[in-house]
Amino acid sequence: MDVFSPKERLQKTLSGETVDRPPVICPGGMMNAAIVDVMTKTGHLLPDAHHTSDKMSDLAYDVYENTGFENFGIPFCMTVEAEALGSSINFGSLECEPKIQKEVFPSVKDVTFLPDGTIANSSRAETVIQAIYLLSEKYPEIPAVGSLTGPISTAASIVDPMIFLKQLRREREAAHKVIDYVTEQLISYAKLMADNGAAAISIADPTATGEILGPKIFDEYAVYYLNKITDSVHELGVPVIVHICGDVRMVKPQLQKLHSKVLSVDAIVDLAMLKKELDNMPAMGNISTYLLEFGNADTVFKQAKHLLSKNIDILAPACGLSTSTPLNNITAFTSAIKEG
Amino acid sequence: MGKTKDELYSEMSDAVVNMEEELSAQLSNEAVESGYDAFEAIDLGLAKGMEQAGRLFDDGEYFVPELLMCADALNAGVEILKPYIKTERQEKKHKIVIGVIAGDTHDIGKNLVKLMLSSAGFDVIDLGRDVPPSVFVERAVQENAKIIMISSLMTTTMDGMADVINILNEKGIRNEFKVAIGGGPVSRRFADQIGADGYSSNANQAIKMANELVGR
Repeated sequence: MDVFSPKERLQKTLSGETVDRPPVICPGGMMNAAIVDVMTKTGHLLPDAHHTSDKMSDLAYDVYENTGFENFGIPFCMTVEAEALGSSINFGSLECEPKIQKEVFPSVKDVTFLPDGTIANSSRAETVIQAIYLLSEKYPEIPAVGSLTGPISTAASIVDPMIFLKQLRREREAAHKVIDYVTEQLISYAKLMADNGAAAISIADPTATGEILGPKIFDEYAVYYLNKITDSVHELGVPVIVHICGDVRMVKPQLQKLHSKVLSVDAIVDLAMLKKELDNMPAMGNISTYLLEFGNADTVFKQAKHLLSKNIDILAPACGLSTSTPLNNITAFTSAIKEG
Repeated sequence: MGKTKDELYSEMSDAVVNMEEELSAQLSNEAVESGYDAFEAIDLGLAKGMEQAGRLFDDGEYFVPELLMCADALNAGVEILKPYIKTERQEKKHKIVIGVIAGDTHDIGKNLVKLMLSSAGFDVIDLGRDVPPSVFVERAVQENAKIIMISSLMTTTMDGMADVINILNEKGIRNEFKVAIGGGPVSRRFADQIGADGYSSNANQAIKMANELVGR
């Protein structure tokens, strides 16, 4: 019998308390574990499950039950926000996650500012919020993590990213205005997730990497707007996880400025080393998704034990999981952590 | 007395490095008015600047936004000089078809590689994102391309890269093309595993790799 419920363990970990062992989670969004193996086993399928709260919560439960991850992580994509703000979406297939078909605006100067709450009140967001509500009511001991597309990535999903990236330098005022607008929209959406039972909010911002933006722009935009969302969610007493993709070598001092309760990083980063360099900042990660897909269960198990020995605070995949990841590799990962 | 040709070329190079689109256009006009060879002005002026920008990118001084702005400055100059290039100077460019394999979410990396290769004198045909493996092969044949470049951002879609090579093998035309891959989750090891000819970890390195693949 476990001392803590999965929700208690995650919440205590996120508030810096000591627990029996670290939680092992998969936060949803870009990092979701709705793999083909699980879906074909249970019959709750994507892309259908993107669209109704019943199907979404059923699939989230299937993932929880089959993979051994100790949370519900929804939605299963990064398109909810951009669709609400006007971009067209390709919903993909069983194997392939949804993506932005076309960014709606060619430039930050062309953005139409929709009323606050446009994301939060959209039908896609309602599906997610309702699913969070259903899951957290029905399974109060399992944490439901609401996953959010970060402000830079959302902005780069409504404005042509190649133009957008230049405009971060060339049109700073207009770029800030757009990202601030997106940020406010994300905050009201995150608040609704929190109000409806989300135990944590996880923000992944794959366009906002040190490698793409460089330290100065990462600081000026990513850190500032990620913190703005984080602070607003923390005011509600709900902890925030931030995931930064890619190699973070260039932006270590900037990472230290993030207000999130835990920082999640990619497989390329030596997490134990990073923790040390960042004043023992709580860290989440970072089992290679490449290993999870192509490795065998034995190697995954050993790698999981290795991570566990490094005092990582929360164990999780390092990046987006491939939908063709074998289920027994994922269970090798989660069971290695759970047996301590 | 005005500036010498070398001084002008050096200023053109600097304009590209410093991301100065208007200045690059203005200096390119100067080159035209001075009657300098347009091909040479691109080669020894603007393109040198882009090379320098690529080095700064490798060194972690420049990042994607800077590189994109340098490319804008380069293109502003090239647009002005292009009509003046004497036809005999237009060497036959090597063709590359490039695209993001089926299923991927965005294509920033691919666009960057395309831009760097174009600036380095390749004729790059962009197949866009979400390209099925068979289309890479069809278009490469149609365009008589030398290199097929495939990018992937997610491990989910990496199998598609191997499919491109399999299709080439099945059709018995594997030797007619060089296949190069890149993107976030892709590694040298994976490239070797699937039998790709080239791998590059970033956009600037891709130039060197492409040059090697065509034997330049």
